[in-house]
Amino acid sequence: MIKKKDVLLKIRDLKIQGYSDETWVDIIKGIDLTLHRGEVMGLIGESGAGKSTIGAACMGYARDGTRIVDSSIEFDGMELTTATEADRRMLRGSRIAYVAQSAAASFNPAHKIIDQHTEAPLQYRLKKRMEAQEDAMELYEKLRLPNPQEIGFRYPHQVSGGQLQRAMTAMAMSCRPDLIIFDEPTTALDVTTQIEVLSAIRDIVDEFNTAAIYITHDLAVVAQMADTIKVLLKGEEVEEASTREMLENPKEDYTKSLWAVRGFKSPQRHRPTDGTPPLISVKNVDASYTGGEKVLDDVSFDIYPGMTVAVVGESGSGKSTTARVITGLLPPSKGEVLFKGEPFPPDYRNRTKDQLRQCQMIYQMADTALNPKVRISEIIGRPAAFYSGLKGVALKNRIDELLDLIELEPAQYYNRYPAELSGGQKQRIGIARALAAEPTFIVCDEVTSALDQLVAEGILRLLDRLQNELNLAYMFITHDLATVRSIADEVVVMQHGKVVEQGPKDEMFTPPHHPYTDLLLSSVPEMDPDWLTTLLEERGVDNVGDAASAKIDPKDAKVT
Amino acid sequence: MSVFVIIYYTLLLGASCLAAYFNKRSAFLLIFSLTLVSFILGIVGGPGALRSVAIAAGLLALAAMVSYAFREFLIVIASTNMAKELRTAPLTAAFGMFVIFTYAIAGIFAPVIAPFGEAEIISSAFAPADETMLLGADQLGRDMFSRIIYGARNTVALALAGTVLAFLLGALAGLLAAVNGGWFDQLIARTSDVIMSIPSLIFALLMLSIFGGELANDTTSFWLLTGFMMVTGLLVVTAVFENNIIGWAIGLAALVGVSVAFAGFMLIIFNPSEIILVLVVAVIYSPRVFRLTRAVAGNVVVMDYIEAAKLRGEKTWYLIRREILPNSTAPLVAEFGLEFCFVFLLIAGLSFLGLGIQPPTADWGSMVRENATLVSFGEITPLIPAAAIALLTVAVNFVVDWMLYRSSGLKV
Repeated sequence: MIKKKDVLLKIRDLKIQGYSDETWVDIIKGIDLTLHRGEVMGLIGESGAGKSTIGAACMGYARDGTRIVDSSIEFDGMELTTATEADRRMLRGSRIAYVAQSAAASFNPAHKIIDQHTEAPLQYRLKKRMEAQEDAMELYEKLRLPNPQEIGFRYPHQVSGGQLQRAMTAMAMSCRPDLIIFDEPTTALDVTTQIEVLSAIRDIVDEFNTAAIYITHDLAVVAQMADTIKVLLKGEEVEEASTREMLENPKEDYTKSLWAVRGFKSPQRHRPTDGTPPLISVKNVDASYTGGEKVLDDVSFDIYPGMTVAVVGESGSGKSTTARVITGLLPPSKGEVLFKGEPFPPDYRNRTKDQLRQCQMIYQMADTALNPKVRISEIIGRPAAFYSGLKGVALKNRIDELLDLIELEPAQYYNRYPAELSGGQKQRIGIARALAAEPTFIVCDEVTSALDQLVAEGILRLLDRLQNELNLAYMFITHDLATVRSIADEVVVMQHGKVVEQGPKDEMFTPPHHPYTDLLLSSVPEMDPDWLTTLLEERGVDNVGDAASAKIDPKDAKVT
Repeated sequence: MSVFVIIYYTLLLGASCLAAYFNKRSAFLLIFSLTLVSFILGIVGGPGALRSVAIAAGLLALAAMVSYAFREFLIVIASTNMAKELRTAPLTAAFGMFVIFTYAIAGIFAPVIAPFGEAEIISSAFAPADETMLLGADQLGRDMFSRIIYGARNTVALALAGTVLAFLLGALAGLLAAVNGGWFDQLIARTSDVIMSIPSLIFALLMLSIFGGELANDTTSFWLLTGFMMVTGLLVVTAVFENNIIGWAIGLAALVGVSVAFAGFMLIIFNPSEIILVLVVAVIYSPRVFRLTRAVAGNVVVMDYIEAAKLRGEKTWYLIRREILPNSTAPLVAEFGLEFCFVFLLIAGLSFLGLGIQPPTADWGSMVRENATLVSFGEITPLIPAAAIALLTVAVNFVVDWMLYRSSGLKV
């Protein structure tokens, strides 16, 4: 359903170069893009594909250290590459607006939201202050923000992430631009909040007939939002087609592989029936950070050897805190953690070397989890040397073995620094470091959420293979239910620091669910372009996200 | 119109035309504005003013050439990795390195370079410069040039020793405070606040009047230095052995040995009053180092890789040495350069007041004071040691600027 209207943005042969190692390297290698008025185009691809760079180029903007070379960017008849900086500035904010990934980082924390909202209309003398303010409230109402009259007078930190992202969309709308660029606006949000933002963005873009470029790496999301989809790979276009056509009939192999990512599924294992004690047993644990409120409230669950327990929940539900209690970083205020039936000392400082060895951790952000100034050989080698006392040739062999295990060529990676690796490779090194200790139990804290789907799948397959080979138990913390579906054996659902439901995966994914589990499950976007429309019809527009989770009836039969 | 003036303008105009022709915008603007300024200068000041402009420009060009050549020289002799780093150095940094290099040579080989001894009286007081005395004589008839050379050795060595000691204490305390936190952090941080709340020069004067004079003898300075080293070493022992009692015993024994040996060694190099001076400087400057180190290390300590290492069961000393230090060297090295300048100026200032390095040891600060009377006769002699101080400070700052720029991660 391509809308045949005027062309708004026409990019021809876009080339962008970045400066690295004292030479200019092509980042974008000749992209063509045509966007009509009122059309929403989805840009999709893995990180490093150049999605955000193209988004910025649509405003005629090249980030520091990059430059646009002999290309043509024509916005509504105006050539942006040859226009003066002053002319380009006149467009930004008034006719082209930008919504960034992290609204929390993009709002100025020192000013009220509405002051930042009205800045652009006042600057361009489009509206008087009071008019702009009333318009802001109107937009807030359209975006279904609670208390639209009042919310603008709060500071950014007083508003939740999902609300802030909508406020940012409202701000982008403040001058009624012709084009809005959304740069991964929902990537940092929970699934339940994501729906609110998606439906709000979709409605408002429809209402004002604004053209939009929607950048994301999540196919299911882009399927809900875009009229056409353009797939990018390493700065080059793979293919472009209307959303339905693309979903039903992708042409290129790369696109097909993107579509097929969610295919991986490890066979479900079951608890041993011969009475083996659980490897890790969390018993009635309460925990709180110094002086604060209770973050965990009576949390109990068991993890059996060789099995994967996925802990799911929105951010702030206490998933990571549970991991910190198990590893001993945060001693619980009540309850205990048992390891093979023996109590684990609550503080990691009191644990013996062998106890520490048994329980390893893989982190979400591989960038901060690997010391940038230490070579790969030492990052992996240190735990091996530390726990097993390996030296010299034995140590080198062990490192080679570990690198083989995570499917990286030892000779090539042995002497590198973390900065010389890609995101997926860094995560693999994180896994190798955990394996080097020869543990029986590994906590995986959102290990795939910072990665692209293709890379993430590779990591999941690797983890699954290692589990089978080494009989490892995983505690898999995630908010992505697709990951849970593919790797978990048992699922623990958490909300507000409590375990709301737990059980084997197959039971958890078949109804009846606890209402919260139900909400989580139904909020995961699907590849069907009508999914959001159908869902909103079922639930009603005012019953998504926080509103929906607040409406859970405490007397429901499944709530115990 | 003299030939000089004609050549002067021809060169300038020629250069600006060339720059304009080859589209070198900034070079053209610079040269042509210099030409315009020269017109006015020429009218107001005559050929003499133009001549000094020409000399200044020549000196600048010479300095630039020396810096360029020195940088290329360093790149050629350095290893591949170092060479890559050095290529990013601006000319100012190369100039700074060249000056530091020159000072180091002068200091190390002072007895070979200097024609006379530092305390040797060879002519009448304030004798003018001649063939044997390049810069003339000072108020007692000692050779100024020789004293400048020896001064490089005395003043710089003292400042260096002071800075190193301040860094040892401050950086260790900062790292430990960042890793341990809690009461330990509070205790050290508040102590350093107390020291920093006293103006440094006043504090130095106070300490020097207590420990100077009678107390500035071999025994006192020996024990003071040993004590200082014991405190510093105690921090290391805490980090290395933590709760291991046997380790503590061995560590303490080793510590006493090392401290005594170090104090003995220092006594061979410096005389007692100089050691007191070094200690005073170290105590005054260590809180600043502590603050910076704690802030830098504090940013590193919260990273996930530190958590991973802690969960592995690593000791504090490993955390500091292998995980934190490599990630905070750049700002620390830059801070070392900056602190060195401050220490250097403090020592020179104290010597100027007569409390620092004692005569007849040559020292730039006291040389300025001793020859100060000459200024009223229009002689520049007292300004030469002052210029030596200024040049080194500027040079170190040039190098530090480059390092700060690199560590700040600004790369465009």
